[in-house]
Amino acid sequence: MATEKQENLTGNGVQILPKQETNTGDRYSGIRESRPFTYSDCGGNSVQLAGEFRKRCLKMADRSFSQGLQCQQINSMSALMSMDDSVFIVHSPQGCAGCSSMASDLYRVGQAHRGVRFIKNVKLIVTNLDERDIVHGGENKLKEAILLAYSRYSPKLIFIFTSCASGIIGDDVDSIAAEVQKQISSIIVPIHCEGFKSKIAASGYDTAFISIRRYILGNQKVPKEAGLINLFAPTTVSYKDQLEIERMLSLIGLHANYFPFYSSLEKIKKITAAEASTAICKVFADEFMKELENDYGIPFAHTVMPIGMRNTDTWFRGVAALAGKAKEAEDYIAKEHQRIIPLIESIRRRLENKRVFICGGTGRSFAAAALIDDFGMKLVGLETPTFDDDAQKDIEYLNGIHGDYVIDIANMQPFEQINLVKKLKPDVFIGVPAWSARLGIPTTHVLDMKRPTMGYDGLVYLGNKIANQIENPGFNVKLAAHARLPYKESWYKDDAFKFIKSFGQ
Amino acid sequence: MSNITQNPRGNCALGGVNAVLSAVDRVVPIYHSGPGCCMQTTAGEAGQAGGRMPFYVSSVSTPCTNMLERDVVFGGTDRLRETIKGAVEIMEADAYFVLSGCTAGIIGDDINSVTEEFRKKNLPVYPIETPGFLGESYRGYEIAFTAFLKHIVKPADRQKNLVNLLGIMPYHDPFWEGNFEELTRILEKLGLRVNTFFTRHQGIKDIRDSSAASLNIIISPWLLKSAAKEYLESYGIPCLRWPGLPIGASDTSAFIRAVGKALSIEKQAESVIKNEEDYVYSYLETAIGSLSWKQFAVVGDANTVVGVTRFLANDYSFTPVVSIITDPVFRPEDIERIKEQLRSLDYARPPKIVFETDQWKIQKELESHEEITLLIGSTNEREFAMQQGIQCNVITYPITDRLIFNRTYAGYRGSLTFVEDLYDNL
Repeated sequence: MATEKQENLTGNGVQILPKQETNTGDRYSGIRESRPFTYSDCGGNSVQLAGEFRKRCLKMADRSFSQGLQCQQINSMSALMSMDDSVFIVHSPQGCAGCSSMASDLYRVGQAHRGVRFIKNVKLIVTNLDERDIVHGGENKLKEAILLAYSRYSPKLIFIFTSCASGIIGDDVDSIAAEVQKQISSIIVPIHCEGFKSKIAASGYDTAFISIRRYILGNQKVPKEAGLINLFAPTTVSYKDQLEIERMLSLIGLHANYFPFYSSLEKIKKITAAEASTAICKVFADEFMKELENDYGIPFAHTVMPIGMRNTDTWFRGVAALAGKAKEAEDYIAKEHQRIIPLIESIRRRLENKRVFICGGTGRSFAAAALIDDFGMKLVGLETPTFDDDAQKDIEYLNGIHGDYVIDIANMQPFEQINLVKKLKPDVFIGVPAWSARLGIPTTHVLDMKRPTMGYDGLVYLGNKIANQIENPGFNVKLAAHARLPYKESWYKDDAFKFIKSFGQ
Repeated sequence: MSNITQNPRGNCALGGVNAVLSAVDRVVPIYHSGPGCCMQTTAGEAGQAGGRMPFYVSSVSTPCTNMLERDVVFGGTDRLRETIKGAVEIMEADAYFVLSGCTAGIIGDDINSVTEEFRKKNLPVYPIETPGFLGESYRGYEIAFTAFLKHIVKPADRQKNLVNLLGIMPYHDPFWEGNFEELTRILEKLGLRVNTFFTRHQGIKDIRDSSAASLNIIISPWLLKSAAKEYLESYGIPCLRWPGLPIGASDTSAFIRAVGKALSIEKQAESVIKNEEDYVYSYLETAIGSLSWKQFAVVGDANTVVGVTRFLANDYSFTPVVSIITDPVFRPEDIERIKEQLRSLDYARPPKIVFETDQWKIQKELESHEEITLLIGSTNEREFAMQQGIQCNVITYPITDRLIFNRTYAGYRGSLTFVEDLYDNL
């Protein structure tokens, strides 16, 4: 499967080594805002916004009122907290370990799904910065925590997550790590994921991967393993989905190094042995895969989330092209279409022309938007966290199918969502149901961390799920009569985007 | 002083305040903090308290200044002013509380003056300085009550039959609603009206008028010492501290007697006790020997550990082995009060008593007792129970593997539910 480029790199056993890293150089910083034409705050008509974006005249903006975001530290932590041979140190007051409740649960459930008999806890240590540490610095506590992690578990890896507090007081986490590294055999991996550095939570993935590259992969040279492909997936992908994706890869002679969920140092080290990379999320590892290509000559297939017919086809074709198995892939796709199309025909009859509002993270929102086309549904509203060149491609594709619809570039911001949903009155809301359900609108989600959503069979599962929830909306309808939403009536009549204020160019 | 802790059983001070506020009807917290604090604190408290989300505003629906680098450098008070303005404009609330996170706390943004501008316009916007580094969740619980007493509670005429029922922390006790409801049910049988501030849509008005109560009942061996003092000194309300969750007939009846004595309604108390004990025992009588004998360990907050240890030992004749209190109790007299509760058992030999919050040390402690056959604790204790092949009942924070609405193990009825849940047919 090696491409020409790769042969140049690896054919004679010589690999181009990564450049020596500096903090300032030309490498990507891990902060998504640093990429050109990246917007987190805008809203309006889809055709108009895409037009302005194309002409590069979309103005930068900010919300003068907003609700809480997800910080990048949450993403850095959730990405890695299922690593089996690791201890996680959160260098922060105790609150910044709060999000570990979700990651811990996913780790436990992930073990149960994988048939692990004795289910383990995540090993997480918080330095618990207090007032005294804020004044005098928390470096000693961090040192102590690393040594404690080592003495308790001698793990292969010790990850350190920084926080707003540790960043602002200026703790030199890298120096501490380097100093303690001389004393212990665990590999210490500091991750600089201070929340105040970015508004885009996905930065946390990049930040984590940058540290993995710097502290673990380094300049390592490993022999290539024939047929090995890196399969990067966020932890919100269910085990069933993992199995389905791995099965599809096996059809074109590939086996996966599935990472990072339920993973290990060994699997990290195998990353550079792979012949190619792919991901099943748009914003997970996209930057990392570019680095792997530049530094280690590992080509990658551009990523979409394989949800729905079009995305599953696209994803599979991309990987197959890398593997030089385009024909085999087309045969399989044709066979699957033949099998699936009759199955979704009946679902389509139930869903055709239903109006949909979609809200999700970058990967799931666009995947859901592509999915509804399989069922002939109509997009009326789309809420997604980031508008950038990649999003533009999807938006233009969706504009081609659905014409005008409302776009809200927002990381959640339920106040805008509820305003739009109440005005647009969609037949179904796809996304986190907590708010729209209380308006009595049928709700469903393509994010199901414990069940299958991907590949061709996932399509049938999701279609039935959406159709059943539209046909049987009793819970939401009855709930709406009693629900308590915190917004004033006047807000629902107001412009949903009134707090988005643009500034200059 | 906060210690390095493995798998902490709590969030930060900010998380504690937020857990309290999110249980009060029609209250909107506004965070002046970094971009992840709303989600971290909600995930840390409600997110580990039995699978639910607060009903009104929480996590990503909480107004927040989402302080970024520029705010760290230049200060974020202008941004805060805009955020409050927006919140007041679009969100319905009886009170808005501005909470400062670590970032605002470290750079020293003055949330007092900014909120004052709004109060001058008669808008109910109040500051609570609660950067996370001030301490753990319980510190936040205390800070929230201090803020209520400072900003909300106003003098009111004494009402003879009104009591404030305090000490059970919303979310941090995953059974808080059920516990409040059962204890309220019993107190109402005594002819009392009960302020909990957090259940049955109670809200700012109930907090404001809590100065009218004849008695503060604090269900906790160590919390709300300063709030109790403030209620006594400013409003003359005496305090009955009940040092643990009353579970089962013995402790609940003793609790009712103490309330009856404090309010001089002993006769009503005895009649309620007779009635309720009859109810409990008419059920227990039908399941004699249904549960096999257990030697048990309890791991959790002080209230639950005291309540469970005493109920299982005194009323159910199980054998206590070790009781591990995970709360960061720091005053020697509070530690002694808890020990006293665990030592003064009717017949059973007292368990070993341990104060520990670190999961590794908790596990080491459990490993040192070979004879445990029932482990009552949090989701974190499942690992040990699985390794040992012993029964595990998850009833203390953090709980991520069961859904809890109004379930309770408190009082008379709760004790029956508890025994139901302990039944394992193995």
